[in-house]
Amino acid sequence: MDFFNSAIMGFQLAFQPINFMFCFIGVLIGTLVGVLPGLGPVAAMSLLLPVTFNVAPVSAIIVLSGIYYGAMYGGSTTSILVNIPGEAASVITCLDGYQMARQGRAGPALWIAAFGSFIAGTLSIVGLMFIGPFLAAGALRFGPPEYFAIMILGMTVLTFLASGPMWKALLMAAFGLFLSTIGMDNVSGIARLSFNIEELLDGIGLVPVVMGLFGISEVMLNVESSMDRSIFATKIKNILPNLKDWKASWGPIIRGTFLGFFLGILPGAGAVISSFASYAVEKKISKHPEKFGTGVIEGVAGPESANNAATGGAFIPLLSLGIPSNAVTALLLGALIIHGIQPGPLLIKEHPDIFWGTVASMYLGNILLLVLNLPLIGLWVKVLKVPYPVLFPLILLFCLIGAYSLNNSITDVTIMNIFGLIGYFFRKFRYEAAPLVLALVLGPMMENSLRQSLLLSDGNPLIFLNRPISSVILIIAFLLLAFPLIPWFNKKRPAFGE
Amino acid sequence: MNNDQVSSGIWVFIGVAICLASLQYRIGTLSSPGSGFMPFLSGLAIGFFSIIGFIHATIRKNRGEVWDSFLKAVRWEKALIIIISLFAYGLLLGPIGFFLCTLLFIGFLLRVIVPQRWLLVIGGSLLITVASYVVFEVLLKAQLPKGFLGF
Repeated sequence: MDFFNSAIMGFQLAFQPINFMFCFIGVLIGTLVGVLPGLGPVAAMSLLLPVTFNVAPVSAIIVLSGIYYGAMYGGSTTSILVNIPGEAASVITCLDGYQMARQGRAGPALWIAAFGSFIAGTLSIVGLMFIGPFLAAGALRFGPPEYFAIMILGMTVLTFLASGPMWKALLMAAFGLFLSTIGMDNVSGIARLSFNIEELLDGIGLVPVVMGLFGISEVMLNVESSMDRSIFATKIKNILPNLKDWKASWGPIIRGTFLGFFLGILPGAGAVISSFASYAVEKKISKHPEKFGTGVIEGVAGPESANNAATGGAFIPLLSLGIPSNAVTALLLGALIIHGIQPGPLLIKEHPDIFWGTVASMYLGNILLLVLNLPLIGLWVKVLKVPYPVLFPLILLFCLIGAYSLNNSITDVTIMNIFGLIGYFFRKFRYEAAPLVLALVLGPMMENSLRQSLLLSDGNPLIFLNRPISSVILIIAFLLLAFPLIPWFNKKRPAFGE
Repeated sequence: MNNDQVSSGIWVFIGVAICLASLQYRIGTLSSPGSGFMPFLSGLAIGFFSIIGFIHATIRKNRGEVWDSFLKAVRWEKALIIIISLFAYGLLLGPIGFFLCTLLFIGFLLRVIVPQRWLLVIGGSLLITVASYVVFEVLLKAQLPKGFLGF
């Protein structure tokens, strides 16, 4: 079957009423769990997985995929409106998106996030169709040293993220790395620093940490300032982005799309890394880097495009190699296996309906998401008109329910509260939390790849430089780290809160 | 001492504490890193960067940067009430259940932080509690704690 016939077959499948309905249900649930902090796509897909046992495999994959990219779409909404990331990949959107909301520009931020997501999602599907199989083969050449090098590169990105002194950003990253080591050691099975608390054996959950550091601490700071002045600009300036916004957003959207797609292929936290990396790139190449963090549209457009493009990229190793690149695609892998389908190099040949049907449904799902989300923007913006003394208990309640419902555990609520308090002091002492979050995400993969590499080389750290891919990546990371040592660059670094 | 001197000083202690705590697990060698390897490295990194930070802050202190109290001109007691009520929510959620706990939590915050009229306090807390119960427990099957009331 040639490419065009396969694509046509895929679209025929996607437009069948039953698959159309499943696609719609998937993106609707995805948007909902993306908007609600804490309830991530993994939880929603786990709940829905048994329901899909009785439907055709292609319909099952369509609805589960819809939840995944729908959640990425919806994750930006609470980041922009109330500084609570719906998803880890939306953490970075808080920095500028929330500031835009405070200036009465939540509407343009949400519009650009929606359009960026749509364009990135669609382009990444094109990439998945045309170059997916070739890229998957390339990703196979990545061993532990290459992954470690990628993680190091990811960490150097944070030097561009943070405002204020670089030692604070690096210190936050080191603390995030430490937090990531809490729990069961994957290699030896020893429980580390878990204080005999069963819930800590799986490590400290990212969502409670993020909601505490960003959401709870924000509320604490807002309530202690006089609430006579409004937290949000009372006058919502406009709902639609103006020409200047569009002009400023196109570049970040396209760059974010490419970055997200290629980083999404790599196993690990593709969507998270790519959103951070996109922000760093935009800040680096911007003519006004000092304005990042104060509410610039590029800080929303790039990361939101990148995290959506990463979802397309993440399907490449899953569908063409049978390798899940994150927890969500691992669930999809499980769903495929339950339906008697073995993902891998032969999937496209043996089950073309699954591959092409899923890809075509993703085109359809992206259009549905845009149609679903754009009319809701006006409604979301009205949330900010609720007086803050009435709004803040709601924000806190969403955080509490989100943290609890992750594992139905009060320990997660306690962790969130502790990090709320820590986040409050971080802000008072002018430490930025974003590097900590990135390190917490990358930490487990970084530790595993470091230890595996050292075991492989019998303790020779030069293994990272002896392998061409890892050495090139490390050189890039080194150059990025060296930039701040150049005096003219350091002058451009903004102070915290500027 | 200025703010960064104080905070970096605290971080030095945290870094040392992490290094010491990681010693109870095997740090191992480069050819066979143990469970304590990464926590130890991260503790070292925290200590290293905080010492750099302390030096940086001391240089600024010598240039005249002094302690800037972050509690002045703010009503920090409200932030304190918020964090205490969040911890109380966590403690009471299991014993008294989601519905009653949420009702009390929302009502308390509405009445205490910026005092609202009783009608809004009672109506608002009831509405928010019922709506969140329906969305999370009934529609999303979030399995919220039931407590002694059974819901």
